[in-house]
Amino acid sequence: MPKVKIPRKSTIVDMTAMCDVAFLLLTFFILATKQKPPEVLSVKTPTSVSSKAAPDKSILITLTKEGKVFLMLGDETKKAAIIDDFNTTRGLQLTGAQLAKLKKAEYIGLPVNQLKSALDAPQEIPASLMAGIPTDSTNNELSFWMRSVTNAYKGEDQRLLQDMILVKGDGDALYPIFKSVKEALKANEIFKFRIVTEGEQVPAGSELYKTGKEDKK
Amino acid sequence: MAEIETKRSADKKKRFHQKSTRVDLTPMVDLGFLLITFFVFTTTLTTPTAMNVILPYDKTPPSDLICESCVLTVLLDKNNRIKYYEGAVENGPLIKETGYAPDEIRSVLMLKKAKVKRARGDEGQFILLIKPTVASNFKNFVDITDEVTICQVKRYYIGELGDADKRLLLKKL
Repeated sequence: MPKVKIPRKSTIVDMTAMCDVAFLLLTFFILATKQKPPEVLSVKTPTSVSSKAAPDKSILITLTKEGKVFLMLGDETKKAAIIDDFNTTRGLQLTGAQLAKLKKAEYIGLPVNQLKSALDAPQEIPASLMAGIPTDSTNNELSFWMRSVTNAYKGEDQRLLQDMILVKGDGDALYPIFKSVKEALKANEIFKFRIVTEGEQVPAGSELYKTGKEDKK
Repeated sequence: MAEIETKRSADKKKRFHQKSTRVDLTPMVDLGFLLITFFVFTTTLTTPTAMNVILPYDKTPPSDLICESCVLTVLLDKNNRIKYYEGAVENGPLIKETGYAPDEIRSVLMLKKAKVKRARGDEGQFILLIKPTVASNFKNFVDITDEVTICQVKRYYIGELGDADKRLLLKKL
């Protein structure tokens, strides 16, 4: 019997298809990832059982550990209007160039009296050196900023605005700072806002766990 | 890597060497999947949540009557401690101390809730007053409001410390 020749099959696997799939998925994930805004202010938020995601378009008030207050206007469509309104209502008399620079800034963290000189300065002041927006009861500038915010949204759906106002605070920030932020919001008749937190599991066996629904407060 | 060379015995004829145009895609696939894993992890892990807070409209004084025994007041003290008492501060209530751990403040809230239900037949009458002191921090405030959600307390108010509360805090336990 002659030897049966078994044809040797090639072990080469065509990788092209796999490569295609890998990169297709890669592209999808890159596009689906929302670019997280660079965190210039390091804030460690507390945790809560709330499962609602924070909106990405927001008016964010940040409280740092040191007790400084920063304001970020995340709604690009209204940012210019808010800053213009603040300029006119507070009588800042900023020049066009200064206004443009302020509108480009990612966050506002300076008292009004330092704003002008900071805008003229060639170099940007790092967040750690900013004084924060004053919120004390005698000079609550945050309240003026919030007034401009409410002015800019006048005549629009107020629920939309309510959903956008976020307070993000460091867990170690002292309560009085939060209280003055609260006062600033209250002064502008904003009674509903949200606090940005890190997610947390609902504790097993608790009341919320049993009913399984979050209170619609 | 992914291929084992197999000699072709068929063409024995010597031709001038022709290089294969095939490229080994294995490293590229590796890299692709590595990046995918990276992006998958970063997308799911950074989703901050938002917790609702509603402030009372306090331009007009509240007019609804509440029962005194239904009220529990928690004072957020320094060093992550809580002091609490039942009823009105004027009547010199017994002040107790607790913390933020699950078995501490949560059980206090649940006990009071059950107590109100037994006495009034409706746990909805339970009222929680939260009074943060100047020494408490933001995390304490978020924790206590979170505890309110966890225990499903229907009515709670965030108030300021009165003089009587301050005196109570100064008192030794």
